[in-house]
Amino acid sequence: MLVVFTILSLFLGLAYGLSGLELGLIDWVSNHSDLVLYLLMFTIGISIGMHDGIIGKIRGYGLKILMIPLGTTVGSVAGGFLCAWILGLPLFPGAAIASGMGWYSLAGATISNLGGAELGSIAFLSNLMREIFAFLLIPVLAVRCNSAACISAAGATSEDTTLPVLLKYTNEETVVISVLHGIICSFFVPILISFFFQLA
Amino acid sequence: MGIFMVMIAGMLLGRVHRLRKVKPWNERLSMLSTFVLIFCMGVLLGRKENFLQELTTLGLQSFLFFAIPTILSVVLVYLLTRRFLKGR
Repeated sequence: MLVVFTILSLFLGLAYGLSGLELGLIDWVSNHSDLVLYLLMFTIGISIGMHDGIIGKIRGYGLKILMIPLGTTVGSVAGGFLCAWILGLPLFPGAAIASGMGWYSLAGATISNLGGAELGSIAFLSNLMREIFAFLLIPVLAVRCNSAACISAAGATSEDTTLPVLLKYTNEETVVISVLHGIICSFFVPILISFFFQLA
Repeated sequence: MGIFMVMIAGMLLGRVHRLRKVKPWNERLSMLSTFVLIFCMGVLLGRKENFLQELTTLGLQSFLFFAIPTILSVVLVYLLTRRFLKGR
């Protein structure tokens, strides 16, 4: 049901955007989506706060918990190299595209500046797909793999928009790890993009 | 940074035992916010110049740049956590 509503929300938004309509309330909300994000983070915070003993459990993992953002980053970069090789594109810009890890606005804009409009568009679309497909993949991965795999699929978006889906299909403990994962991945996104374009 | 301050404020509020009965409503509000955010993303895309044209010309390449890095990330993290973080 959640997946159906996710797809429906996206298509309704797309249809509204393409229609060129300008309805007061909808325009106001879509121009102030940051406020909706604040509300989302506040409610996620309440859910975490209601759960006892989370921080203690996460402390118990120690530095091993960093394996999740490390695995996500290494897997994404390796995937970028592989894609570039398959498509016959230059390797380092390919790695830069995948280094966006779902942060489509930053990856699209930065790579457009550094590598031109076509690479920028691929970066925008592919990272957008990562965010959208994360909503669809998380319920499947939660059953077939483990909660860390769900976090990894979400990439850098695991610190905000994909959190409610993670909360629904995993647990509060995973949500805290997910926020940490998202912060670390988001920190590396601009660094990796610049780094790979310097090598290009 | 502000976004995490908001989240921490929510966590502190969540510690108040009296408020625990609002948990189902909080979860509904959380889901509603997500759908509104996704709707806003759709509006942003719909208004982006040449979005549909870009999707048709660069869609397959973009799909590969989404799918392969995501699959490799998931597989690597799954294997690492199964090996080193049992129970995750």
